[in-house]
Amino acid sequence: MTIQQDSMHACPACGLLCDDISADAIARQQFSCGKAAKFYARVTTGVSPQVAGQPASLAEAVRAAAAALKQAAAPLVAGSSTDVHGARALVRLAQHTGAAMTHINASSTLRNMKVLQHRGWQTTTLTEVRNRADVILMIGTDVVSHNTRFFERVVWVDEAMFTEPAARQIIYLGGDQLNTQPGVSPDGRAPEVIACASEHLPEVVAILRALVMDKPVTATTVAGVAVSTLKTLAATLKAAKYATLVWVSKDLHYDHAELTIENITETVVALNQKSRAMGLSMGGSDGDTSVNYAHTWLNGVIIDAPAWESHDAVVWVNSYSPQAMPPAGTQPVIVLGAPDSIFESAPAVFIPVATPGLDCNGQQFRVDGSVTLPLTAAKPTDLPTLTQVVALIEAQLQGDLA
Amino acid sequence: MITLLKNAKVIDPANHKDGVVQDIYIRDGRIIAKPADSEKIGQVHDLNGKIVMAGAIDMHSHIGGGKVNIARMLLPEYQAMRRLEEPEAHICGANCSHHATPNTTDTGMRYIEMGYTAAFEPAVLAVNARQAHMEMGDTPMIDKGGYAMLGNDDYFLRLLSQNADQKTINDYVAWTLHATQTIGIKVVNPGGISAFKFNERRQDLDQQHSHYHITPRRILQALSRAVNEIGIAKPLHVHCNNLGVAGNFQTTLDTMGASDGLPMHLTHIQFHSYGTEGDKKFSSAAANIAEAINSNKHITADVGQILFGQTVTASGDNMMQHLNAKVANPKKSVIMDIECDAGCGVVPFKYRDQNYVNALQWAIGLEVFLSVDDPWRVFLTTDHPNGAPFTSYPHLIRLLMDKTFRNDAFDKLNLDAQAMSNLKSLDREYSLYEIATMTRSAPAKLIGLQDRGHLGVGAAADITVYTEQADKEAMFAKPDLVFKDGELVVKEGKVVKVVWGATHTAKPTFDLGVEKDIKQYFDRYHTMQMNNFKISNDQIAEDGRNHVINHVQG
Ligand code: SF4
Ligand SMILES: [Zn+2]
Ligand SMILES: [Zn+2]
Repeated sequence: MTIQQDSMHACPACGLLCDDISADAIARQQFSCGKAAKFYARVTTGVSPQVAGQPASLAEAVRAAAAALKQAAAPLVAGSSTDVHGARALVRLAQHTGAAMTHINASSTLRNMKVLQHRGWQTTTLTEVRNRADVILMIGTDVVSHNTRFFERVVWVDEAMFTEPAARQIIYLGGDQLNTQPGVSPDGRAPEVIACASEHLPEVVAILRALVMDKPVTATTVAGVAVSTLKTLAATLKAAKYATLVWVSKDLHYDHAELTIENITETVVALNQKSRAMGLSMGGSDGDTSVNYAHTWLNGVIIDAPAWESHDAVVWVNSYSPQAMPPAGTQPVIVLGAPDSIFESAPAVFIPVATPGLDCNGQQFRVDGSVTLPLTAAKPTDLPTLTQVVALIEAQLQGDLA
Repeated sequence: MITLLKNAKVIDPANHKDGVVQDIYIRDGRIIAKPADSEKIGQVHDLNGKIVMAGAIDMHSHIGGGKVNIARMLLPEYQAMRRLEEPEAHICGANCSHHATPNTTDTGMRYIEMGYTAAFEPAVLAVNARQAHMEMGDTPMIDKGGYAMLGNDDYFLRLLSQNADQKTINDYVAWTLHATQTIGIKVVNPGGISAFKFNERRQDLDQQHSHYHITPRRILQALSRAVNEIGIAKPLHVHCNNLGVAGNFQTTLDTMGASDGLPMHLTHIQFHSYGTEGDKKFSSAAANIAEAINSNKHITADVGQILFGQTVTASGDNMMQHLNAKVANPKKSVIMDIECDAGCGVVPFKYRDQNYVNALQWAIGLEVFLSVDDPWRVFLTTDHPNGAPFTSYPHLIRLLMDKTFRNDAFDKLNLDAQAMSNLKSLDREYSLYEIATMTRSAPAKLIGLQDRGHLGVGAAADITVYTEQADKEAMFAKPDLVFKDGELVVKEGKVVKVVWGATHTAKPTFDLGVEKDIKQYFDRYHTMQMNNFKISNDQIAEDGRNHVINHVQG
């Protein structure tokens, strides 16, 4: 006996990777999420490769890309907005050409990695949060600006194994222009909002950590927040059965924000001495987790954030961000990316490749890092995959060398 | 084309051969009987009496998956930046985290260079299996496989607490093997990983789980029975409760009785052989453990030997790793709860020979090796990277084969640890035949790889050729030749051809009706669809290099 399931797609438009997108929803363009709507509305057909802004055959474009790479002394693989298969291909290309490799989200990824590599952390994943979290503290973020359906998919769910979902306590601590509406419970209970501007989070989170660690705090306010409020918050976290402290690296974009993240994760470490709590890093995608992870298992080190000015050619991959282009200045640019790329000035070479989850299949990591989901072609096209194009460029380079 | 290995001195315990000089013929990746004289021989290697064994099989090595990759990330202070344009420029030393947790390419290369042709990832989190297979798929040269972790997943614990019948449990276990493309089942700190999520800090064998009100003993009974009844070869792989705790040997002894005589494999048993004697309340209980293994014929064990140096430990046991994090070196660690399925704990350690506990751990591992009589039931592992990186196997083999070498090393240990170990009274030196047993024949038999780990007609031609030397570390570090599926891939310790190996699985038949309830569970509680949890053969083969070899067992 087999169980028939409607074919469902996983949406790669953000790190949540909701895998409940039906073919029917795609056909009718009906989504509960604007990001998904935008992603599945992309038109990826009818675009040919270009060399210097002029239409070219795939073979001509591949030759031009190989020639540009051969001439470069210090190429850079960047953008890297792709899936695991694309990441593998790019790592190979970088090894092959001696290129450095980075990602469009390198700065937010590396902010988290600094904390991981300095102190480690204690974190959880979405299904644990869905079934256990009774207190969710969102620090400097509303999450939904990045992961639209976070509350729908993880928080205000019908059922959970170990907690009453509708009774969860949602607390926002700091952040700029947050959308706290999704934090309202299904029965209309408003979330608690402890307001402070993002730039003051370093001090506020440091005090919260001190309070959780039972350190003496003499101040009565910090950055306009009453210490008594933070004391109550610390007590709430300690009393929780499974407190979840959520941050989004991209929302903590001031200098040395990694120290704030470390204070968040060390607050979790302190809580776990006696009760249970976990951190949850949200946001993410353009395949950032996939690329960093694959880079790590293939090279033994995490991705890098190189200085653009020291490179003399860029391979730019923008499969999930067609509007994104590298900073002006570094030339030539070889785009292996979104067919619907938007160029202000034509790159040296443009080869449209299939976007995993839209034009072709693939595999992508979810933002919580433990789950990888297959991506299926929602609207299959015969565009070549990034893996195929990289293989062609490598063959060309090898042929040139021979 | 036929390849001939002439005058091979064959050590092949599965076929009871101990130094028989003979010729080996290979065709299409398999060992064949002597062909008719009329058949053409394509390639001849005259071995002149060199030692020939089957390719070695590492039955427990953390080579792929989430926690291993976190371990790779964790020690940038030891990672002199690799210059990618010069891949060989970075040579890993004992203080380098690459050394302990190499990237996937290095993993495959270092294994094959030592004559290992397969390694099994023993802690595949079911929900993370896709990642584990991606990493193993990117590991060249060797065959791979995994054991899926069960016993802390809420689906199973719900079944057990609702008194589900054994058939349902069997079907779920078989379903998991299919879904995760694995060949065995492991349980890590039975019930403990789950209990940690409910704020418990220890889980004893007969202590009820605070939420599900079942004991680890019950979990072991149900899982060992399931594994037995669905008919896979690999016995339940057990990482006992109370990892690393002084006095835990009693838990280990009690665990041996938990399966009612059904086969069980106790893994990295060194970490579970600790007593509480002496001033420091930490002592060796290796003698008790070895005696129990000797008398309990249903039990097998691998050692998880520690060797001195920097490593990063990666375990599914987040409960105990959360405690161990206090002694992390450098001081950092990653602890995770994962998907109502499992957890993980990644903690760097520096094992030092002048540290009392570390020195005694070293001795305890060797005491276990030397006191278990039957090399078919004790396996050579360092629990890579937890006790030491797999690259230290040649050194470990020498410690087992060379009493003088071992005693010289012992004399350098922390003096208090020396006083607490009987290692020097153990005169045993392993023979080549015994080493071949514990690294070839026995792991193949244990996992159920009928055509691996031996050199009989019909076996896969995974073959390692060594020059016999007095220095066994030198001998095992650098075989003369290694053949993978009949192809010559290593010459004089260097890879001469890149191959990709396969993924071994076991997929016993089961009643697919079980999926109806599993799907309901996913729909009610999970954040992914059940269908996306399942990994297909095509997804394993994905980039065209890997393929699944399924073993029909039982
Ligand atoms: S929340 Fe993210 S993953 Fe889910 S549908 Fe929206 S964009 Fe896609
Ligand atoms: Zn290194
Ligand atoms: Zn292990």
